[in-house]
Parts: sequence; C-alpha cells; structure tokens
Amino acid sequence: MSDMEKIEVDALVVGSGIAGLQSALDMADQGLSVVIVEKRPSIGGKMISLSKVFPTLDCASCITTPRMASVSHHPRITTLTYSTVDAIKRENGVFTAAVTRKPRYIDEKECISCKRCEDVCPVYLPDEYEEGMGAKKAITIPFTNAIPQLPVMDPEHCIRCGACARACPKDCIDFLQQPAPVEIKAKAVILATGYETTPMTAKKQYGMAKLPNVISPMAAERLLAPHGPYGRVLRPSDGMVPGSIAYVQCAGSRDKSIGVPYCSRVCCMYAIKQAILLSGSLPIADITIYYMDIRAFGKGYEQFYNNARAMGINFVKAKVARITEDEKHNPILRIERQEGSSAPEEVKHELVVLSQGLRPGDDVSRYGLGAELNDFGFVKLSDETVSSAVTAGAGVFAAGVSKGPRDIPDSVVDAGSAAMEAISYIRKL
Amino acid sequence: MDEKIKEEASKDNYRQEPKVGVYICHCGGNISDVVDVKKVAEELSKYPGVTVAREYPFMCSSNGQDLITEDIKNLGINRTVVAACSPSLHDLTFRGVLQRAGVNPYLHEHVNIREQDSWVHKLDHAGATAKAIKLAQAGVEKVRRKDPLNAIRVAAEQRVAVIGGGVSGMRAALSAAGKGLEAVILEKGPRLGGKLLDLGRLYPSGEEASAVVKKLEDLVRADKKITVHTDADIDFVGGFVGNFKINFKLPGGKSQQVKAGAIVMATGYEHYKPYKGEFGYGEAANVLTLPEFISLMKKLPAGRLEYGGREIKSLALIHCVGSRQVEGVHKPQADGKINDYCSRVCCTAAINTANQIKEKYPGVRIYDVYRDIRTYGMMHESYYEQASKNGVLFFRHTETDQPVVTSDRTGHNVKVKDVLTWGEELEFKADLVVLVTGLVPSDISLIKSQMKMPSSADRFLQEVHLKLRPVELANAGIFIAGAAQYPMDSTEAMASAGTAASKAGILLAEPDIPLEPFVAVVDEKKCTGCGLCPAECSYDGALTMSEKNGKKVAVVNPALCKGCGACVAVCEPRAIDVAGWTLAQFDAMVEAIAKE
Repeated sequence: MSDMEKIEVDALVVGSGIAGLQSALDMADQGLSVVIVEKRPSIGGKMISLSKVFPTLDCASCITTPRMASVSHHPRITTLTYSTVDAIKRENGVFTAAVTRKPRYIDEKECISCKRCEDVCPVYLPDEYEEGMGAKKAITIPFTNAIPQLPVMDPEHCIRCGACARACPKDCIDFLQQPAPVEIKAKAVILATGYETTPMTAKKQYGMAKLPNVISPMAAERLLAPHGPYGRVLRPSDGMVPGSIAYVQCAGSRDKSIGVPYCSRVCCMYAIKQAILLSGSLPIADITIYYMDIRAFGKGYEQFYNNARAMGINFVKAKVARITEDEKHNPILRIERQEGSSAPEEVKHELVVLSQGLRPGDDVSRYGLGAELNDFGFVKLSDETVSSAVTAGAGVFAAGVSKGPRDIPDSVVDAGSAAMEAISYIRKL
Repeated sequence: MDEKIKEEASKDNYRQEPKVGVYICHCGGNISDVVDVKKVAEELSKYPGVTVAREYPFMCSSNGQDLITEDIKNLGINRTVVAACSPSLHDLTFRGVLQRAGVNPYLHEHVNIREQDSWVHKLDHAGATAKAIKLAQAGVEKVRRKDPLNAIRVAAEQRVAVIGGGVSGMRAALSAAGKGLEAVILEKGPRLGGKLLDLGRLYPSGEEASAVVKKLEDLVRADKKITVHTDADIDFVGGFVGNFKINFKLPGGKSQQVKAGAIVMATGYEHYKPYKGEFGYGEAANVLTLPEFISLMKKLPAGRLEYGGREIKSLALIHCVGSRQVEGVHKPQADGKINDYCSRVCCTAAINTANQIKEKYPGVRIYDVYRDIRTYGMMHESYYEQASKNGVLFFRHTETDQPVVTSDRTGHNVKVKDVLTWGEELEFKADLVVLVTGLVPSDISLIKSQMKMPSSADRFLQEVHLKLRPVELANAGIFIAGAAQYPMDSTEAMASAGTAASKAGILLAEPDIPLEPFVAVVDEKKCTGCGLCPAECSYDGALTMSEKNGKKVAVVNPALCKGCGACVAVCEPRAIDVAGWTLAQFDAMVEAIAKE
C-alpha cells in the first residue's frame, strides 16, 4: 500500500461530461489545480456520443472535443479515467477521496495507441458505445475521439488467446493487472455526475425493450451520427430504411407510474432535433412526434420548433397507450388523439423512438459527503435562490445534470458558476 | 492610456522558408458528405509550397490536433492551413496547437469549407469540392505571406463593473468578489433587487421575492469588495477590454466614473406591455397583466379577492401574451417584428399564481387558457398537478385559434376553441382577465449603441455561441448575466450570473490581457498625412493624426483598433494594412482563386 498513487489538488471534479469539463476548465483557467475522475474509459460524457445538438445543429463533437483537448492539455488539470469514486471523507477542511483505477489490462504508460491489439483480437462483441449496434473487439479503444487513446480489455469475453500480447510492439498487455487504489486530497469537490436515461423497460406497455424497432434516443443519435454503426439510418430488425418514424414523448418523464413525475426538459428538443436530422437524411420519410406539451423554452428553441413544423414534421397531441408490433416487426402504437377525433386508434410505423427521460447518473450519497439528495436522487442545493451550486455539504458543489435535468447550453452555463463557488470557498479557507 | 499598452517585441524575427501543412476536416460528415475531402487533400498536396496535406474526421479532436503536432515535429511544418468550419468556432483551437508546438500561433490560416461551402452547396458535390480546393489554395497563399505576430498586452483594471442591481447583478458581483476582484454595481433604480421587488411568492422556494432580495442584498452589503451605486444614471460607456470607463450621474447631478477591466451586463428584462385593446387591455376594466395582478394580490387581505371595488369570483389566465407570436396572427411590435420566442418563465409563474389564489381565496373559479404548459423545472410539474387538483380548469387552443375576450359591464366573456375537447367552441364568464405576459429586454439602447453590442433576433443580448461561449458578448471583456440574454427565472439567473463572473475572473486572472494583434499598421514613409482615414474610423481614438519627425502621419492605438480595415480602403498610397490581413495577402488569395 505504501506505493499507492496520491494526488493533491485544489479541487476534485467527479464526472467529465460537458459540465465537469467546463467547471474544471473554469477553475484551472483561474489558477486552481484540478483532478477529474471519470468512470468511463474516456472523458466527454454523454455529449460526445451525440450526433448534432439543438438549436444550432453544431456537430456535438465540434463542441465537445476541443474542450476535451483543452482539459487533456491543461497544465493544471489531471484526469483519471476508467476510475470510480468509492468514498470521499472531509476532515479538517480537506477532502480525501478513495478512488479505484479499474484495470484496462494494459500498461497505460507504455501504450502508444497503435491499435494493433484491437486489429488482431478475434473476439467481436456488441459495441455499447454504438448502443449495441455494430461490433467492437474484446480489446478496443472505445471510440475514435476518445481521450485518452488507450484500449480497454473486456476480461469477461477475452478468450486469452494472446494474439494482442504478441502483436503489441511495446509489450503492454497485462492479463494480471489488478484494480489500483488512488488517494486524492482536495479542498473542494464539484459533483458533475450527469445522468442516465430512464430504462427502456420503465413502462411495461411500451414493449419492455423486446421490440427490435422500438429504439432509444441514444441509439437514434448513433444512427444519425456521421460515424455511426451503419453510416446511415437503418432500422435494427432487418436493415430496412424506415419510411415512417415516430417519437413517443414523455416515455420516461411526467409519469408517476414509473416514479419520474418531473419533466426531463431535454426530450422535446432532442426529438425535434432528431426529426429535423432524419428528414435531412431520409427526405421522403414521414416523421410524427406524439406529445403532451411541446416544451421549447430556451433561446432560439421556439423558432427551432417552428422550423420543424415548416419542414413537414407531424406533431400530434396524443398519449401513446401501448406499443406492439406486427409480424414484420413494424411497431403499432395505440393512441388517443387530443385533436381531431377522440376514438382510440392504432397507427403503424416502421421505426419508433421512445423519448426517454433523465435520471441521476450516480447515487452520490454513497460517497458520504453530506450533500443531500431530492426525492428523485438528484443533488439538492442548500438555497437555490442565492446560489446555483452550493450544497448542504461544506465545500461540496454541484454542476449540470447532477442537480436535475438540463440541456447542454444550461449545463455549460451552470458549470462556470459551480467553479466560481468552489474558488470563492477555497479562498476563504 | 498609451503607457498601459505594451507591444511585446517580436521574439521571433525569423523568416524561415515556409513549409505549409494543410489539414482538411470531415467535420464528421458535415463537410465530407458533400466535399470529396480525399480529392481536396490530394490536390493540395501538389500545390506549390505545401509540404503535406491530410484529411481527418475531426481535426479539432485531440487526435486531429496531434496530427498537426507530429507534422510540426517530424516534417518541420511552420505554417498551417486548416480547412474546416467557421474560424469563429475553431481558429483559436488550432492557434493553440501551433503555440504548444513552438510555432508562432499567427502562422495559421483557418479556411471555412463548411458554412461557406458544404452547407450551402449540398446538391453540388463536384462544385463544392472544386470550391474547397480553391479556398484551401487561397489559404495556402495567404499563410505563406504571413508574418509572426504577437498578442498586444494591455494592463487591466482588476475590477468588474456590473450594470444592473437585480438578483443577477448581485450574484455576479458576489461571485467576482468571492474570487478576489473588486466589483461595482450600478443600479438605475433607488434600490437593489430589480424586477423581483415587484413580485410576490416565488417558485420554486415559495419564499417572498423580497426575502430573496434581502438575502442577496445582505451578502452584497457585507462584502467589502463590492461598491453599490443606486440611482446611477449611466450616460457613457467606453474604452476597451481591461480598460472600460463608465460615466454615471447620481441624484443631484454629480458625475462619477468607474474604471473596470470587465463589464457584466445584468440589465434584466421588462414585462411585455399589451397594446391597447389586446384582449381588452387598457380598454375594458378588469383586464390586468400577471405582474399587475401579483402586485394587487400582495396588497389584498385574505378572504375576498377584490378589484376596483368589486369582488372577483372568477378569473381567466390567458397565456403567451407577447410570447410565441405568429406571423399573420399577432400584431407586430414597434420594430415591425413579432415576439416569436417563448418567455420560459410565464407558464410556471401563472400556475404558481393560480395555486396561490386558490390557497388565499378558495372560492374563486380559475380558467387557464394556454397553448402548451411548459412547467419544465424540477418541481414545477407538481404545481401543474396541484393546480388541477385545486380545480383550475385548463383550456388549450392552437396558435391560429386565439381566444377572444369580449367585455361588457357585467364582466368578460372568453371564447376558446378548445383542443382538449376536440375543438369544441367553449365560452365562459370571468370577472377578471389576467394576461400572462412575456418578457422583453430592458431598454439599454444607449449602452448598446455606444459599445456596439449585438442583439439576437429576439432583441435580447446576443452571446457569441450558445454552447461554446454562452455568456460572452462579441465585445471582448463584456459578459451577460441573467435575463438580459433571454428570459429565465431567478434560480437560473444565479447560474448565469455566476458564470459571467467566472469568465470575468478568467479574463482578469493575469494583470494584463492579451489582445488580438489584427490591428491597423501605418507605414509612415508612405503616409501622406491626408487625414482621410481618421474620418472613416468608427472607433473613437483608434486612429488619429499626429506629428512625427516633423511630418503629419496617421497613428493607431492598437488597443482600440478593431482591425475592421475601413482605413485601409480609403488610403490611396496603400500606407495602411491590417496586420494578419494585408493587401498583399488578399491579392495573392484572389490570384489563387481566379487562376484557371
């Protein structure tokens, strides 16, 4: 234990999505030393896997990768990826975080990112970065823009054939690598733990994730992404180009029956955005959005919504009661319209996207920080009328979706103020 | 002022043989779906002076940047052309790459083949490819003629001026002071608190707005780093990043000046004022706006809801008045434009008020007439639910079927074509009509025109980029806090204001600020002293005539010059050039593009 890795910094940021990256940069640009701990193998969070982002339709990579690069080049920022925060204790005004570096089964210092291990690996697995569409190897650099460019081995599926070890020019492969503890000391903590989407199985009436052509919005993002799994929009069951696509709004929000009564804030806009992108790549496809209320409340959002309507995207105010499928796996929606006729009807589409909501990315109460959570597991602020980042835990601040759903512009804005609270707190210590 | 401006001596006077690296970005399909990027790279690699030309999915990513670094190290590349998106997005990114690799960052040229090519020539792949080649070749010609430049460094006042003393302004000042900067709040009204002073119980905390104001004001008053001037009538804002000057008058006519390194615009909003006759406003009695109604309710005792001496037993809330307006349906505003934006806060504010009415006056019938209910915040949905439980009746109309209010002495008649009952024409009586008015920006036309600040189509202050630089104005050193940028509630304003302070903190992290060196440079030997150029210059003090060595010549103040080139255009002897954008460079670019 004596050679345990130790890091001492001004501030610890948990999570490296857009909020975490931005708050780290804002602090480091004002002279603080920062460490970011990210559980996934790359920094960049959810945003890096999106296609284009509303309302400007910039490619998500164009907005995220420069920040990822700035963080990785910043002289005052250290990043620990593929590492989990196990506990954070505060004593005499100093936080001590117990972090575990998960084994990638390679020597991270020696690896030159040549990808030869990946090239020779004979094991193909569903690629979770592509939402299970497309394949990856059992040892792989997670995606093109990943930072760091280090492969991760999947020990459960590796067949120990040794091909990677033989191909590696630097003799980096280490089948016996163990998790390594890291101790981080910091004066302040920013929680930027982001979100997970509500599960596809949240609503049992919606097919319980068993209908192949009822997909998640993240999968739709990958289908639309320029380097997505198929390079074009195809539906999963048979590779057909869908001619009729539907969005089911509030499929994981505003619904007490699934324990998510709140509005997830982003789903209206991402559905509209995906619909606009789909009508660009599939000009003859019919696209319908079934909604309760369209919540286009941000700057430029209403105009974005109006553009979508002008492009011919159908907006139907209707609650979807049930989703089944026909023998060709075409999803069938049972709907009740609130405009036009009132009789329930069944509508067939060729691809359906369930607009899932957002739930907390991590249960931060397990760190033992004293930060309180609200009823839904998001971090509670001590007084949101005075500060957008101060929590009940001294020296603990929250940024981005850790406090509740918000979109990218709101998260970016939020991050700076969290950084400022941390700076102010540290100065007063 | 002159002594404050130190132009760093050029450290690298080298004129190495230009070795140009050209990098074509796919922009993840944004470019490569239209432009044949492989062909562009191939053509460019044959172009004179080009050492290497490559294409890559995302040049701005870390891997993309590393390609350039490697070429600088291994091939001795000393000038770069990146053909990608607009330079406004990533010119700085690539200059940073050069800098880290030890090359003068201004020996980079960013060529826009996205906004100016692939996005506008979607259907003409061959034409777009040919255009990309030409543009990149012109970039090569330009970069070959570039000289190393150095940032102009300006000593900065370590002080932030916050214009507006509402909750955003107070938060911005507190955050700036928290980081150790001095902050000065200039509030035009007699008190701190801004618009919140008029509001009642706020969502989501349920606190009185005045209590929220007091909490922030107490913190502000206790902070020795913050100076507050109320009743401050600003009559001049000038200067430049690091050295802004704001003149203002206090009651009694006393003039004062604040010098600041950065300005935070926390100028807030106004409530939309309905025109005379809009749903009966200003004509019929008993038609109020929501803020007017909130002021009224604050004063009324519990028990009996009363207006104009009459008991109000029923009340209609009409949403989206002055927001989400539709061309052809709504009357345009004074500037000829409609307010097509959503004002974000009004749905929750209206429903919050409806619940408070029901709490205080349970017998009052409330009709809520809306298009979409946008209770998006964490707990806001529960207010909506509570309103339903409280018996508030909701009517939903479409954008083209606006509700109609007719009034007589007995009250109002509200007609709605209600979507929730499949388009039924419904009609109800209401003693009071409350118009849920949207937000419009405050009138800050004087400051905006003096500093040439940009507005968005919605007339609010325009940020540089919603995601990359969301609280920065294009004017260096000026930041936006709160609803001056777009409608937001007071909790959202806390985030925005804190971040505005953070960006000011980053700007003022060093005692001096680097400015872009793209400013006019006068060749004194060629200057004839004709005096035409200062007349063309739009920036006070940037270009003046003065005596040098017994000769009258044009003199540039590099801190004030914006590099617009207006002076260049009128200079007949070609004695003025903008550094980094010289006429010789333009000549060469035009040649390259026009060449067969």
